[in-house]
Amino acid sequence: MTLTREPVDDTQSTDQVTPVWRQRIRIFRHNKLAVISVVYLVFITALCYLMPHIDPGNQTNQAATFGFRWNAPPSAHHWLGTDSSGFDELGRIWYGGQYSMTLGFLAGFITIVVGTVYGMISGFFGGVVDTVMMRIIDAMLSIPFYFLLITLITIFGRSTTFLIVVIGVTGWFGNARIIRGDALLIRKLEYSQAATSMGASKWHIIRQHVFPNSISNIVTVATFSVADAILALSALGFLGLGIRAPQTDWGTMLQYGAVQLQNNYWWQVYPLGAIFILVVVSINYIGDALRDAFEVRLLER
Amino acid sequence: MFSYVIRRIVQSIIVLLIVMLVTFTLPYFQYHGILGPAYAVLGTKASPANVRIWGIQHGMMHPYVVRFFTYVGQVFLHFNLGHSYKQNMSVLQIIRLYIPRTIWLAASSLFFTTIIAIPLGIAQASKRNTRFDYAGTGVAFILYGVPAFLLCQLALDFFSFHFPHLPSSPPQGVAPWAIFTNPVGFILPVACLTLLSLAFLSRFMRGAVLEVLVQDYMRTAKAKGCSNRRTLMRHAFRNALGPIVVILGLSIPGLLGGALIIESVFNYGGLGIQTVAAATNLDIPVILGITLLISILTLAGNLIADIMLGIVNPRIRVEGTGR
Repeated sequence: MTLTREPVDDTQSTDQVTPVWRQRIRIFRHNKLAVISVVYLVFITALCYLMPHIDPGNQTNQAATFGFRWNAPPSAHHWLGTDSSGFDELGRIWYGGQYSMTLGFLAGFITIVVGTVYGMISGFFGGVVDTVMMRIIDAMLSIPFYFLLITLITIFGRSTTFLIVVIGVTGWFGNARIIRGDALLIRKLEYSQAATSMGASKWHIIRQHVFPNSISNIVTVATFSVADAILALSALGFLGLGIRAPQTDWGTMLQYGAVQLQNNYWWQVYPLGAIFILVVVSINYIGDALRDAFEVRLLER
Repeated sequence: MFSYVIRRIVQSIIVLLIVMLVTFTLPYFQYHGILGPAYAVLGTKASPANVRIWGIQHGMMHPYVVRFFTYVGQVFLHFNLGHSYKQNMSVLQIIRLYIPRTIWLAASSLFFTTIIAIPLGIAQASKRNTRFDYAGTGVAFILYGVPAFLLCQLALDFFSFHFPHLPSSPPQGVAPWAIFTNPVGFILPVACLTLLSLAFLSRFMRGAVLEVLVQDYMRTAKAKGCSNRRTLMRHAFRNALGPIVVILGLSIPGLLGGALIIESVFNYGGLGIQTVAAATNLDIPVILGITLLISILTLAGNLIADIMLGIVNPRIRVEGTGR
């Protein structure tokens, strides 16, 4: 005997169509690997931001680590051994993860915001504006990405803020091109034309029609941008242009660890390498699943 | 077609001018302004007088606009890219010296990527949602997630330290053909660059073939009794070739960017290593020259891709001439 109503089974109801967003969540949840990716990403992010508070250890003061050994193999005290500076590798992974994740998400956010605004304006106004704006994108895309990145970093320095800005500023060109294609398409569709014929202003059409209808692409592209930003930061770490010591990020740690591989210090590369690769893979996989979830053809009508 | 090509070339020149404007302007924002390289060349404790003399000697005291147009004129009229601050060579000499090696690397990995990724993508699309497809997708995702330098260093560790069969770096001679004195040293860099570009291209090919497979003409081909193999090769492959050609043209900057990391890891003396050195030494003429060169290559790649697209897909050719 229950007083509450029997829960309605969404999949069986035929008289009313399930809300679109709930269908999208269902399509997303149907993809087991995507759900695993989300769980993994949330788990690692939580560890990165919580572990340094739960078990602070010593992450920045090298002088205080003199009692310990450098490059020590895994033991009960240091689960993943110590790195070449004597810091606990596991603690360092969470600590560096904070920087990699924060920078990746913020830089990814910048690329998508700038790319969306630029692409929308270019695609919507068309004509000369579009041609000029797209030639600028062509020019920026034909400058090699790493090259622009290195030049900007050597010019503006390596503070955390500048790293975010520089990775964001160099990463949005491709996004702008994708969003512009969307805006161009939607502007030509009947409902935009109808709104124009009813006297709607251009700004109104962008806000009410173009933006809501390209939000699916924006979200998907944003996901990939975050993965790309994390990878770009790791490449900077390899070139010695990552976060400055004693702070660290995953790219810098992987680079230091990879150099030590010849000494068989496996614990400095493989655990972090696996975590890092799986983070990037799961972000990309979530992006892929989101694209499916937003696919109109899979929705019931 | 001819007028289309001409219009594209004019557009490309405008794009090149924008590239030059951006790369030329960036050094002005350094800490020491345009005189930053002076401190890189003369040392960080150089006296202001010496820095100023160095600036005058290198024509840096002219106004920005004058300098920019001098540079543009110099490049387009005399094909003179300037002189390196750090090395006693002109930029053109540096490029001529190092580019053959980078071209060997990029071209051979592009070749291997193409001959592996295209059949792989077709096979994955035709056997979609089978174990084979999932395995291919998984490998592609992982390869896409590995940082380039990590893949190279792991390969180096496995194949040249723990199982020492392959040399860790290619021959170091500077002659264009020096690389072929010991081709075995060439294997690791090319394999790594191939793996890195493989992920993207095979995913893209799979998507392109999948788009084609749902078309009506595929059903028609099956209905009229074409064998599976024939429908794939004659209909799916040819129609999916268009996007692939475009992507190959667009992949040039990515390939050269990847070459930069691979050259650094394997100590493969090509343009990539020169780029990193120039950027860290603020050797601005070299930076400008290499950027310009890569932009030209990229734009040429796009143009050739578009022309090739007209060849593999006659419908676009008609549109191009109609306009």
